[in-house]
Amino acid sequence: MGPESPGGTSQSGRRYWKILVVTLGVTCAVGAGLYQLAYLYVLNEAERNIQALLLAHKGTHRYIQEVMHPAFYKLKAEGMVAEKFYSPEILSSSFIVRNEHKAYNEERKAAGLGEVYYKMAALNPRNPVNKADALEEKLIRMFNENKEIKDYRKVVRIDGKDYLYVALPFLVNQERCMKCHGDRGNAPLGLQALYPGQGGFNEKVGDIRAIESIRAPMEHQYYLLYIFVASSFSGLLVLAGLLLFNTRLREMVRARTHELEQEVVERRKAEEEVRQVNEVLEERVEERTAQIAAANKELDSFAYSVSHDLRAPLRGIDGFSQALLEDYGERLDETAKNYISRVRAGCLRMGHLIDDMLQLSRLPRGEILRQEVDLSGVAGEIAEELQRTAPERRVVFEITPGVKVSGDAILLRAVLDNLLGNAWKFTAKTEEARITFGHQEENGKEVLFVRDNGAGFDMAYADKLFGAFQRLHSSQEFEGTGIGLATVQRIIHRHGGNIRAEGAVGQGATFYFSVC
Amino acid sequence: MRKNNMILLVEDNPDDEALTLRALKKNNILNEVVVARDGAEALDFLFGAGAYAGRDLALMPEVILLDINLPKINGLEVLEKIRANERTRLLPVVILTTSNEERDKIKSYTLGANSFIRKPVDFQQFSEAIRQLGVYWLVLNQSPPVVRG
Repeated sequence: MGPESPGGTSQSGRRYWKILVVTLGVTCAVGAGLYQLAYLYVLNEAERNIQALLLAHKGTHRYIQEVMHPAFYKLKAEGMVAEKFYSPEILSSSFIVRNEHKAYNEERKAAGLGEVYYKMAALNPRNPVNKADALEEKLIRMFNENKEIKDYRKVVRIDGKDYLYVALPFLVNQERCMKCHGDRGNAPLGLQALYPGQGGFNEKVGDIRAIESIRAPMEHQYYLLYIFVASSFSGLLVLAGLLLFNTRLREMVRARTHELEQEVVERRKAEEEVRQVNEVLEERVEERTAQIAAANKELDSFAYSVSHDLRAPLRGIDGFSQALLEDYGERLDETAKNYISRVRAGCLRMGHLIDDMLQLSRLPRGEILRQEVDLSGVAGEIAEELQRTAPERRVVFEITPGVKVSGDAILLRAVLDNLLGNAWKFTAKTEEARITFGHQEENGKEVLFVRDNGAGFDMAYADKLFGAFQRLHSSQEFEGTGIGLATVQRIIHRHGGNIRAEGAVGQGATFYFSVC
Repeated sequence: MRKNNMILLVEDNPDDEALTLRALKKNNILNEVVVARDGAEALDFLFGAGAYAGRDLALMPEVILLDINLPKINGLEVLEKIRANERTRLLPVVILTTSNEERDKIKSYTLGANSFIRKPVDFQQFSEAIRQLGVYWLVLNQSPPVVRG
């Protein structure tokens, strides 16, 4: 299967939507944040400009009143200026500041900066220039009604441009102001002559006569551009980052997928190899099994042939020897009869040999059938049988009762048959013969033994005891085929046990064996 | 129905044949003995075929002494055919063989052998076995009635 699953396209589409939404969100958030910061900055700048302007105006006012007026009165006292002389261009700080501001705005305009609106607005000014507009009238009334309000601020929009508008109470009528701003009739004559009409008169003590009305441009159009560029840039940066991250992730996933696929391929290859090796092994096992089965079959037919074909001629030899003795006995001398009896003895011996060989070859080659076997009981039965064959013999059997093992009952009986039979045989010439069957512990394991005090054997030949057809005694001394112990050893080994013999010539023998 | 005390000996080994006949004679068993040297001959005799074509099939052996190891058709096959045929299926068959293989014993009894005797090497023992066999099957035992074809 490829890395693209059927749902891959819609999944990646959804992924791009997510990226787009995240990018837009970041752009908007950054934009909004920057806008807010820039707005506050611009507002602050406008506020500072207004403050600076007002302070500059205040300075001008003070200079006129504190420096120019004393200088003028001094000149007047010295008679340098006519007693009745008055000119607002020289003596009115309001006039001078207003016109100074007018010049200032002209300079600003020349410098390409927006004008700063400035007015000392009054409800009833002497100079109509200072007449409050609708908003200013409203604000003057508001300040008069709410004395605790010390300022008014508002961002206003005129012709698509934002301005910070600030209004501050400017002149509060004092008692001393009433001389010139109270009832017109009480005002100095020069003043009355200069300002006809009621403008600037009829004020009341405590009232706010004028406000400073200022409007400074908030030139943040540029900032909007910066904000747009900056936020878009941030958004693009995030987008690029996300796409890069996404690409990187995809690459990682692809690389890892490739690795995993490689691993899978390698593992399959390894599995295939193991499978092939197994097949080869199985084939070999089958071959070997077949070979072993064939060998077993051959062995079986060999044993069968031995059983039939070797015994049949023997029977002929024995039978006709007997016939010879019976039919022609009177014509044979003693030597001839002796020879014939030897021929017959040889036949019988060979018959036994063949039977023992068959027994050895017939031991099961497969699994043995295990069950609990009471060896003490079996040994007792065998002892009785042996006693019956030669009732004249005096042999003491010592059989430890209750020795039980798990194994094949028939085969274990054959073991005891052979071992006790041997003991019986080899104690034939021993006075006070004693045969013992028992068990003892060796290295934490139960070991069984059959002991006799008979002819014994030379330990130098101990390793030859268990070989087939190996005999340590001549047939004249003790009869036997030399197959019994080979059979015993084979049975014990088939049970996973061990057998060994200890003995000395003339001092008997002990056969130790274990059955696992 | 004619009663006949004939013995059918199926034996390929001339030595064993001679010894068996000798043992019978020694033990005064003087019944007629028909000897078949292989399985095929034994069947020919029993079913009146081949060399025995036209034989009076009312004459059936009192007992058949049957060896297992035989040329052409072995003893077990002969036994199988004897038991499969209506005429011969009740005839007493004693397996007389050199073998003491367990599987031969099982096979023999499974196929319906009446007895299984192993020929001992010792002629005296062999002779004794033949004697007892003769006493049992020819004297003590009541043979089944002959089936008429």
